[in-house]
Amino acid sequence: MLVSTRRHTLAILVSGALLAAACSGSDSADSPNATEAPATAAEADPDSSEPADTSDTAAQSTEPDEPAPLEDADQLTSEGEGNADLASLEPVAGGEITFGLTNDGTGFDTTGAIAPGSIRVITALNDSLVGLDANANWQPNLAESLTPNDDFTSWTITMRQGLLFHDGEPVDGEAVRANLQAFKDSPIVGFAMAQITTITAVDELSVRLDLSAPWASLPYGLVGQPGWMVSPSTIGTNETFTGTGPFMLESWTPGDGARVVRNPNYWRADEGLPYLDAINFKFLVDLTVKRQAFEAGDVQGYISPGDEDIVDFLEDDETDVWIGTAGANEYLWLLNTTAPPFDDLRVRQAMAHAIDKQFIIDTFRSGLTIPANGPLNPSDRWYTENNYPQFDPAAAQALVDEYEAEVGPIEFELSIEPNASVIEVAEVMMSFLTDVGIDGKIKEIGQGQSALTAIQDDFQAFSWFQFGSPDPDGEYPFFHSSGGFLNWTNLVSADIDAGLDAGRQNIDEAARKAGYAQFLQALGDEVPMIWVDHLNGVEAVVTLPELHGIGTPGLLPDGSASLAMTNGNFFAWPGVWIEQ
Amino acid sequence: MLIFVQRLGRLVFVFFVVTFVTFFLLDQAPGDPAERFAGLNATPEVVEGIRANLGLNGSLLERYTRWLGNAVRFDFGDSIVTRGFSSWDLIRESLPKTLELMVLAEIMAIGMAVPLALASARRPGGFIDKAASSTAFGLLALPAFVLGIYMSFVFGVKLGWFPTIVDNLPGLNDDPLNNLRQMFLPSLTLALNLVAVYLRLLRSDLIETLQEDYVMLAQARGLSERRIMWRHVLRPSSLNFTTAVGLNIAGLIGGAFIIEVLFAINGMGRLVIQSVILEDFNVVAAVVAILTVAYVMMNFLVDVLYSILDPRIRHGAR
Repeated sequence: MLVSTRRHTLAILVSGALLAAACSGSDSADSPNATEAPATAAEADPDSSEPADTSDTAAQSTEPDEPAPLEDADQLTSEGEGNADLASLEPVAGGEITFGLTNDGTGFDTTGAIAPGSIRVITALNDSLVGLDANANWQPNLAESLTPNDDFTSWTITMRQGLLFHDGEPVDGEAVRANLQAFKDSPIVGFAMAQITTITAVDELSVRLDLSAPWASLPYGLVGQPGWMVSPSTIGTNETFTGTGPFMLESWTPGDGARVVRNPNYWRADEGLPYLDAINFKFLVDLTVKRQAFEAGDVQGYISPGDEDIVDFLEDDETDVWIGTAGANEYLWLLNTTAPPFDDLRVRQAMAHAIDKQFIIDTFRSGLTIPANGPLNPSDRWYTENNYPQFDPAAAQALVDEYEAEVGPIEFELSIEPNASVIEVAEVMMSFLTDVGIDGKIKEIGQGQSALTAIQDDFQAFSWFQFGSPDPDGEYPFFHSSGGFLNWTNLVSADIDAGLDAGRQNIDEAARKAGYAQFLQALGDEVPMIWVDHLNGVEAVVTLPELHGIGTPGLLPDGSASLAMTNGNFFAWPGVWIEQ
Repeated sequence: MLIFVQRLGRLVFVFFVVTFVTFFLLDQAPGDPAERFAGLNATPEVVEGIRANLGLNGSLLERYTRWLGNAVRFDFGDSIVTRGFSSWDLIRESLPKTLELMVLAEIMAIGMAVPLALASARRPGGFIDKAASSTAFGLLALPAFVLGIYMSFVFGVKLGWFPTIVDNLPGLNDDPLNNLRQMFLPSLTLALNLVAVYLRLLRSDLIETLQEDYVMLAQARGLSERRIMWRHVLRPSSLNFTTAVGLNIAGLIGGAFIIEVLFAINGMGRLVIQSVILEDFNVVAAVVAILTVAYVMMNFLVDVLYSILDPRIRHGAR
């Protein structure tokens, strides 16, 4: 769900690494119906292209204990544009906009690590095989249907007739096979699809995925990067993206931005989509520059990199702010559990005890976010509490003393991208650690290099934004210990593996929930990450009131509303229009 | 002619030294660009192949001479970070913007500094001199990032006269008005910092020259003050000024980073910083080579200008 306001706002929308964004979606905070996998195998209808609806059960289980900050529309929409107002406005075709990005892109290779800046551009160039509806249920999008067999060990994807890539090549079964195969074969991201054993083009429009084990929630994995289709001749190319989306890449200048223009052959052109003629994505690293450019009208919207806008422009009637309340990232530190000093559980626990999350939230998020103890938001229906160490300086000090008596002083480096607002937070966290005798230093890495650096294990601790998948199965590769490079912290935990496997392979919802409870509990016990907060409520896009549709749900091919602006991956660019 | 050849030889020597030292330093940096380029799980054969493609195989001297040979043809190798782009692609995208920024800024700065310096020197301690000096000190004390934000706020946000960012900059030939409009604020910001230096430098040299006997002679002969200042005082007073302009021109090619960030210009300053941070060694080496050539050429031109401005230098009297 999105909140609009005619008040200028701000938020952080730093997304972490490649598949974080690729697999991100809703935490279901406002979507109690969000359940995709059939509740039981017996209830599953393998012939259906859509999953069984278990909304009643889910509705009962997803009531959050407390409303998440700013998730109540009334808090921000009293003067807001709101969906009702939008409905009375008739979209106008034409025009172009300049849209500010916080992160630079490093390319478009769909089989590699894609920087957040690139992902923002790809949202305009691409339609995924699978989309998410307003309740974060998966729905066929570019694909016409996705059909499992009886035990979910095989899925058949059938494409729509007549789809074309930007270069005029057909989006057929062979093209889909080639894309999925290239993704699976990639040493960098292929682990996300490791469970797929064979990919076969069955006929002109169909592809069958055979799996090594049941995978009921597989379609969620095709919402993000694995489901991005590019023309087969361009698979693996980094400098261009020949996709299927509403816009085509006209130019990309590293360090500057990209320009995309309307795709005249868009497969939904008969619906009048897209409305805009062109979008200039402009990389604006400095917040002051970004805001001045916005106020001067030089950019019509921008991704807000912090909470300052929300606070500063709360009373500004000349600005709309779209806040993604669903599927927000978490801010955390990854700890490399195979390298000293974080190969010792006591050090990891001490760090968790030492940091006052609420102080960070009050100081840097204006109290808008909620503390995190793991990747799932408390309002998520899969969430259960765990024993993640809470703020307790005395306990931290005791653990540090014990470790230092045995091993010696605790020193480490925190790798971080050069983003001033994030570095500020990290520095305060460092000061908490200093208070208990842990000596940390900040090590800046290159813009957009987080994923690659983490994959190469070239870090001790890492300032990180990630998670928020619409289904916890989306987090599988980042925590499972079975050898994937994406298991950032390198933690090997039988409980985590067992929990994630149960969530992936079971169809029964209770069994899945039990699995994820086991996963969360083990995560709290092992502390491979220092969790700070769920960024619901501070991920925002700031726009001029004349720019419409960027944060509102778009329409899926079946006419149902799509989930919009979740984690920056689901901007409804086809439906964005600007008053002339 | 001999002096010309000597200077040229010296400049070539400087180029070799700087590029070799850069090459050596990059070679000593941690990490293996070939492994990084190859990605994960790459076999040793693949890594070796990439190392060869990137020109990273062989001894340091071999690599340097190979790089030098390619550099002459503007082949600086591929960017390791932004795959699909060569180093020269990235420089070719950035260099024209920075050159335009630098040229416009210098024109503005010189255009403001020279008349103000002449007016100040004519009446040292007078109103114009005091006002110009105070303003110059103020501008000197104002960092570029403060001045830039202020200019952007006043002329971009409040008055709406100029864009606050450079976006889709058209070529100067294609759409000169749009181009100059976009480049006006960054150029002016840069120029205002320069004008303070130029003004102070030129003013003091002008005052010194005005004490020369030949100036008094010209005054005694009844030449107009304007003619004396422009024809007989300005030229011999311009040596330090010329040096400063020359060094600034070269320095700005890679040193306008703050201005480029403030006005979102994808210029050489941003490219340099980004490449260093990202450890994109091929791009760093290419940029250093370009900057070295720029410095060397500007020094050479300044030397030539010296002899034009002051005949005594040309004739070896000094």
